[in-house]
Amino acid sequence: MTTTHGGFEPVFCTIVPPHVLDRLARNEDPALHGPARRTLQRDAMERTRRHLTTVTGAAAVTPPAGKQAGQPHRTVYDAGHGTDLPGRKVRSEGQQPGKDASVNRAYSGLGATFELYLKAYKRDSIDGRGLPLDASVHYDEKYNNAFWNGEQMVFGDGDGEIFLDFTIPVDVIGHELTHGVTQHTANLEYQGQSGALNESVSDVFGSLIKQYTLGQTAAQADWLIGAGLLAPRVTGKALRSMKAPGTAYDDDVLGKDPQPATMDHYVHTGSDNGGVHINSGIPNHAFYLAATALGGHAWEKAGQIWYDVLTGGKLKSDAQFADFATLTVKAARERYGAGDELEGVKKAWEQVGVRTA
Amino acid sequence: MRIQVRRTGGFAGIERRAEVDVTGRPDAQEWRSLAEKVLAAGHSTPPAVVPDGFSYEITVDGRTIRAADPRLTEDQRELISRVLKEGA
Repeated sequence: MTTTHGGFEPVFCTIVPPHVLDRLARNEDPALHGPARRTLQRDAMERTRRHLTTVTGAAAVTPPAGKQAGQPHRTVYDAGHGTDLPGRKVRSEGQQPGKDASVNRAYSGLGATFELYLKAYKRDSIDGRGLPLDASVHYDEKYNNAFWNGEQMVFGDGDGEIFLDFTIPVDVIGHELTHGVTQHTANLEYQGQSGALNESVSDVFGSLIKQYTLGQTAAQADWLIGAGLLAPRVTGKALRSMKAPGTAYDDDVLGKDPQPATMDHYVHTGSDNGGVHINSGIPNHAFYLAATALGGHAWEKAGQIWYDVLTGGKLKSDAQFADFATLTVKAARERYGAGDELEGVKKAWEQVGVRTA
Repeated sequence: MRIQVRRTGGFAGIERRAEVDVTGRPDAQEWRSLAEKVLAAGHSTPPAVVPDGFSYEITVDGRTIRAADPRLTEDQRELISRVLKEGA
């Protein structure tokens, strides 16, 4: 699967035009894309690097020698309340749990995410090729966030006043890792509707990982994102609700959950990359409606349809809600024929006001 | 000197703003020198973002620079955290 080229590397000088480097950087052969990517990175530093991540997805990482297909390769690091990543290695694959609950939760959450993708969708890790899963906990001090930096997951401890530790909800861990899956597949641009789809896909699979872990059906699931993350003094049950977007919290300090459930209430804003965490409520709710209409375990049919769209190669990186919706209808027909599944998916999008072709 | 910080994005997607007027404060000089370093090294164009990462706008007396996690300079991080902590 992985080829090494014995130290040989074509040398790229700065006289190579950027568009050529750009094409080389997208080449599948590591001997070509490696030096090209490095040259581009050196030339323009962070900006180009981020651009590359957007156009090509993340660089392939060679799984370690002992890595077996179908087995996770997890490493958890402790950032020690600093911001240098990844930090000190504190738990590797196969090691027993230690005393740090954040480390243990991150390790288990990575395992649960790996398990759902493998068992339900036969996907070997987030790139489909056994990519090692890395996470850093205790990032910064009282840090109220978790994010995917293009290569690994990063978790803050929360300030204890509004947010607790971001490793607590397994759906948050699944959400972050799913950003990695999206980056390696449809690579949805993190802006406007494609950005809201990127966010929604992370919420969908984040929630499915929780449901899979608990063995819940669509009817039993809470469909909440970030349940257990809000500190006791906050008035709210989670950060988002796929079942009832806009109802997850209503608090003096946090304000009210701004998510719309339907296109009638689509929020036009320049903040948050065009409201990616706001308008994701619309495709989130469509998934909830489809999953409950189809019944049973949501990861089996509804999840399979969404997964087919994300990884099928037809979803463009600048896809709008209607593009995504249309592809789910197509995927439902291809996988399950013209039956209840197809009708359930069509009706779900209709209910949130997104047209399907 | 008025220093404002606006933080957007993040996993929760919840915006936070805070502002400190350092004029007349005993530590005004310290704030002023930190703010000037941040302005001098800053960019006014929006930075590239990572999924769920925070984005920041730092405005000092009407001049705004933009930055995003996880690629903040030490000075930016220091100023942001002080304004969000002490500001109203």
